Amino acid sequence: MAIIDFIQVSIDGLLYGSSYSLLAISFSLTFGLMKRINLAFGSTLLFAGAISIWLSQFIAIGIFGTLIVVLFFSMLANLYVEKLCFAPHRKGKGAVVSMIASFAIWMQLDEISSQLLPDRTHSFPELEIPSLYGETILIRGNHILHLTIAVLMVIILFLIIYKTRYGILMRAVSERPETANLLGFNVERVNKMTFALAGISGGMAAFLILTSESQITPFFGVWCTIKGLVAMMLGGVGSLVGALIGGLVLGLVEAHLTYQVGANYREIITYALLFFIIIIFPGGIMGNTIYRNDKSATERI
Amino acid sequence: MSIYFISVITNMTLISFIALSTYLILIVGEVSFGQQAFFGIGAYVTAIYTALFDFPLLISLILAILLSTLVSLFLSIATNRLSGIYFSIATLAFAELFRSSLLEIYYTVSTPNGITGPNGPEGFQNIRWIFDNNITAGMFSLGCFLTLSVLVISLLFLENTSLFKNARLVGKDIILAESLGIRPAVYRGLFIGTAGGIAGFGGGLFALHNTYIEPSMFGIMLGVHALAYTVIGGLGSPIGPLLGVILDIGFLESIRAISEYRMIIFGGAVALVLIVFPEGLINSKLIQKMKRLLKKK
Repeated sequence: MAIIDFIQVSIDGLLYGSSYSLLAISFSLTFGLMKRINLAFGSTLLFAGAISIWLSQFIAIGIFGTLIVVLFFSMLANLYVEKLCFAPHRKGKGAVVSMIASFAIWMQLDEISSQLLPDRTHSFPELEIPSLYGETILIRGNHILHLTIAVLMVIILFLIIYKTRYGILMRAVSERPETANLLGFNVERVNKMTFALAGISGGMAAFLILTSESQITPFFGVWCTIKGLVAMMLGGVGSLVGALIGGLVLGLVEAHLTYQVGANYREIITYALLFFIIIIFPGGIMGNTIYRNDKSATERI
Repeated sequence: MSIYFISVITNMTLISFIALSTYLILIVGEVSFGQQAFFGIGAYVTAIYTALFDFPLLISLILAILLSTLVSLFLSIATNRLSGIYFSIATLAFAELFRSSLLEIYYTVSTPNGITGPNGPEGFQNIRWIFDNNITAGMFSLGCFLTLSVLVISLLFLENTSLFKNARLVGKDIILAESLGIRPAVYRGLFIGTAGGIAGFGGGLFALHNTYIEPSMFGIMLGVHALAYTVIGGLGSPIGPLLGVILDIGFLESIRAISEYRMIIFGGAVALVLIVFPEGLINSKLIQKMKRLLKKK
């Protein structure tokens, strides 16, 4: 393998991985706050994408209209998921119950999306960004945008969580929900806002991925859920920086494996890697202190 | 009874096996996203031994149970210190690892009825045990139903033993269990291993019934469905998972007329049922109430 190929594959992998990072960041937001997995997350994004395609049959909404529709509906769908699956099971230990409820909503949203998109594959409006051509290296413009937005998003979320009043509330609710409630904070509203925030950042991720793939299929939902979960676990659960790095590492590993052993063995090796990382280093890249401090690690059903 | 009705019944009994296996794991307090892997191991082992090597069915099924139990036990030991979401994702990773490995296994043999054997993504065709032994659909369905009944009745009896009570304690409060001298790792291994065996047995029957299996049948959808049946049905008794299966498959099959929209209605209905009955329909409170009523009489 020539050194130039190695560099090209690494750059492709890192840049592609930034879309995994975007998904993992949105996942971390809800998981960090509620310690619950939102299995319906991927299908809320699929649903938002499907709505925008469905709408574009009737009115020309253009690329920015698409962005706004996707962001709005993924926020709305996430609020719906919160209302139906997470708000009723907030008290008591409802980890499995809310997970299964979100699974039911996953099925529901997938079905609605496939009703909106009767064919298997639909083209999605493309974002025209010129690519960078070096002497021997090609960098896709879309991927640079992904990475930029992923980094920007981590910075914005950091500012929100550590510098605003809402962020303080959010951390309080995450740390001790009962105490926060007793002190008079509106826990329900913090949860809703976090889900809306996760919906908006997830919608951004979905928009960027769909415009760079320029197509949408019914499998987009499952793909988002699994890649987001894997990237989040790789980085270390509940850490935003971990999610960013986890996504990049996942993209890098996948790109090199595809180049070396082909797409089928890539899947095998990726899952084998994930399995052994969880067993040996449950804290992922961010280290085992995250795992030890994670209350959900010892939580029973 | 029509052929269609019989095949729905058979499917319900087969899915009940995997639902019961998630039930056993939930008893010790863990959530597995990976029971479809053991279902798949059972299916492939049974198919290989009956279709390729012409082993008797009983021996093939025993081999299927043994192998899936052993793999499950290995998984339990490997993930011994993990719990909660970490255990769930580890089982998911394991199941996806198994499924994607199946895509790369090729070993086919030509028979008078066409090729058979694992053929990568094309799947395993011509598992002809049912045809070769002249088993009718009704007989096979009855056989599955009887084995399931034996399993459920023995689980119902075991429910009152100290074995199950200790296991439930491990699931509820691991520190209390440890301080009472119960060793959580032993119960975990026992229940997770048995669960793998039960799923493997169901998978073996599934391969015989379907006569064709392919890797994509053992994806995450199967495992999460099995988990959902158990949670809807309730964790109080082994009847719970069966109730979940009956509700889902029975209900979905009975509203075939609106099949296009059925998941939209059913998905919402499940979420609403869980709001009213967060512990499932047959929960431990209901079981205790029933016991009290029985004692009064």
